[in-house]
Amino acid sequence: MSDLEAYRLKARAWLEGMAPIYGGQARAGLSLDEDLAIARRYQRAKFDAGYAGINWEPEWGGQGLSPLHKVIFEQEEMPFAMPMGYFGVSLGISVPVVMRFAQDREWAKERVLAALKGEEIWCQLFSEPSGGSDLAGVRTRAEPDGNGWKLNGQKLWTTWAQVSDYGVIIARNDPAVPKHKGLTFFWVDMHAPGVEVRPFRLAAGDSHVNEVFFDDVKMTDAQRLSPVGGGFGTAIAALMIERYSASDANGFGPPIEVLVELARTAQINGRPAIEDGRIRAAIARSYTLRAGLQSITTRAMKLMEAGMEPGPEGSLNKLMSARATQKLAELAIDLMGNLGLEWTRGAWTKENWVAAWMNAPTLRLAGGADEMLLNTIAERILGLPQDHRPDKGIPFNQIPA
Amino acid sequence: MSILYSEEQQAIATESRRAIDARADKTRLLDLIERTGAYDHPFWDTAIAQGWTALAVPEAHGGLGLGLIEQGLVAQATGAATAGAPFLTANYGAIQMLLASGDAEACGRWLPRLASGEAVAAVAFAEGNAPLRPSPAAVFAGGHLSGTKPGVTAGLAADFAVVWCHHAGEPALVLADLAGASRQAVDSFDNARLFADLTFANAPATLLIEGEAARAAALDALARMAVVTAHEQVGGAEALLFAARDYANTRKAFGQPIGAFQSVKHRIAELYGLVEIARANCIHAASREGEGDFLQAAAAARLSATEAYDTAARDAVQIHGGIGVTWDGGLHLHTRRARSLAIEQGNMLFWEDLLVEQLSGVAA
Repeated sequence: MSDLEAYRLKARAWLEGMAPIYGGQARAGLSLDEDLAIARRYQRAKFDAGYAGINWEPEWGGQGLSPLHKVIFEQEEMPFAMPMGYFGVSLGISVPVVMRFAQDREWAKERVLAALKGEEIWCQLFSEPSGGSDLAGVRTRAEPDGNGWKLNGQKLWTTWAQVSDYGVIIARNDPAVPKHKGLTFFWVDMHAPGVEVRPFRLAAGDSHVNEVFFDDVKMTDAQRLSPVGGGFGTAIAALMIERYSASDANGFGPPIEVLVELARTAQINGRPAIEDGRIRAAIARSYTLRAGLQSITTRAMKLMEAGMEPGPEGSLNKLMSARATQKLAELAIDLMGNLGLEWTRGAWTKENWVAAWMNAPTLRLAGGADEMLLNTIAERILGLPQDHRPDKGIPFNQIPA
Repeated sequence: MSILYSEEQQAIATESRRAIDARADKTRLLDLIERTGAYDHPFWDTAIAQGWTALAVPEAHGGLGLGLIEQGLVAQATGAATAGAPFLTANYGAIQMLLASGDAEACGRWLPRLASGEAVAAVAFAEGNAPLRPSPAAVFAGGHLSGTKPGVTAGLAADFAVVWCHHAGEPALVLADLAGASRQAVDSFDNARLFADLTFANAPATLLIEGEAARAAALDALARMAVVTAHEQVGGAEALLFAARDYANTRKAFGQPIGAFQSVKHRIAELYGLVEIARANCIHAASREGEGDFLQAAAAARLSATEAYDTAARDAVQIHGGIGVTWDGGLHLHTRRARSLAIEQGNMLFWEDLLVEQLSGVAA
């Protein structure tokens, strides 16, 4: 047995031991506050057991292991419905950025450790009402103010801002230069005067995203994480830090075996649905896509294990699995007919077709809309030209609104 | 079997592409469409010279004793070039069944000749849309075979065929020397595949395997050939993806490369997705040779590769616009090949049903 396989088995055993305390059943029916409290304890348990910051340097509270170890742990963690969602952005994007770019290294160490233990949570303030995909088009302003800065504007879609202590933010310091060049990256105290966080509900009923308003919020220059005007590069670096994370070929919906089981029990024209050619075709095509995505992941992990870079095809997973799951969930609901109308609030998307179906539209937009992902594949992988961009090269304040 | 290619395997992939490209000639391939019974001799000479005919033949019979991964890599190169002869896949299937039969005389007679490229084989399984009918119409009795097998790939040039037939009420695989059969050319949309209706009228044949063992061996051979063909389809689909990409980068309209329009670039990005899914399934399937889940891995490879190649054939032509539908432009070589390969080794309907049977235990 390889070291990695031993690591996987050990992680699985640990997770199985934790599942009754922190897993899906323990969390059923809890309020947000109760669930967050459990989540913090779970994150602390991970820290104590050596499963937090798996691939971070020990000087930052990490375990100093490879990204592969981290992915293996995440793969094992996925089936248990553990409360790790609150820390996804925090530990996946924001804190690593602070770790890398914060000016005050001692302060950064304290924050990183507190975040790893689940005591503090960080959000990422990128998207705005005027645009999410067009990151360089942000309108929130950071203006010089004495020795520091003053922040005004509004962010939108900020995941878990309502439970966050800090955030990383990109803001416009100079509207008179082209849009990519007038941005600066900061960290911001979410409890500072002038910060207002308003959660709002998504169509699927949950409220993990927020509007965040900044009204003359003061920042010191020590909160700057990029050169003045160099914030776009830092934002892209931030998004690249989490290159290696466990992907789910099932598009965060139920596995194909669940549909096969449904098709055995449901009937069409008096015969088991599994005998119906339409159902068989759908099952076969879904299996084929998922097997392909799974095989891409397995190959990427083998490459990493051999010390090589995984190929760019790993970027296909979210695009292809999310939309496929959306359609497959529609089919599953068709198979249940009017027995499939029930909407169980808070049901887990990996167990419940209606929940998977209701979550799919969000999934197809979050972290890059399908169309943006296709652009990225076309431009970065295949070398096709950028779209026509009328705002290119002209000062931000002269772009027609 | 590893899911990562070894250095030797990577060298096979590179070298096979290079060797084929060195002698590729679109005009020659276009000419083959117009005639029945002709194939691309320069390609086949290359295949023999490169040792591809010997890849899967055991060393004891004059071969190289390599496996499905290597066979697949060569197939991928042939697919990219729409190579003008169909023998490698059929030979591979015949080799598998000869080995499965344990018939020392048949192996001794044919395997060295297949390895050297002196002989070529055909695999005559399908009858219409069923690649492997439960009760095949062809009959074997008393050392003789009777019946017709329609549209057999390589049927116009093969020296012998392995035929799916029945024998005393049981399925059987027999080897028939095609000197004793009549061949009727199918004038098809892809004539380089050498399709023929083979008619056996009490033709001498040798029983290789019978009963349930024959069914298992035939299905295994079909699945192996399907994985080889899936690699070939991936090669073709990827060639079309690159052709579409290159054209979209150079062809200008409305003052910019057409690849800057999302309707075009997204179509090409979608092709990339289909090609990579199919490639991943192919690599996985080839690595599962001989394992318990091989059939379902083969089905996944086959289904995704057929979808990738058919879609690429449609969309690459669309992206090329008018030039895509000209004869001399030659993209139709791929359009044609995408469909002929989609039929060889069984259509999507068959593989969907087989895959679901593997997953659920319920037959169609």
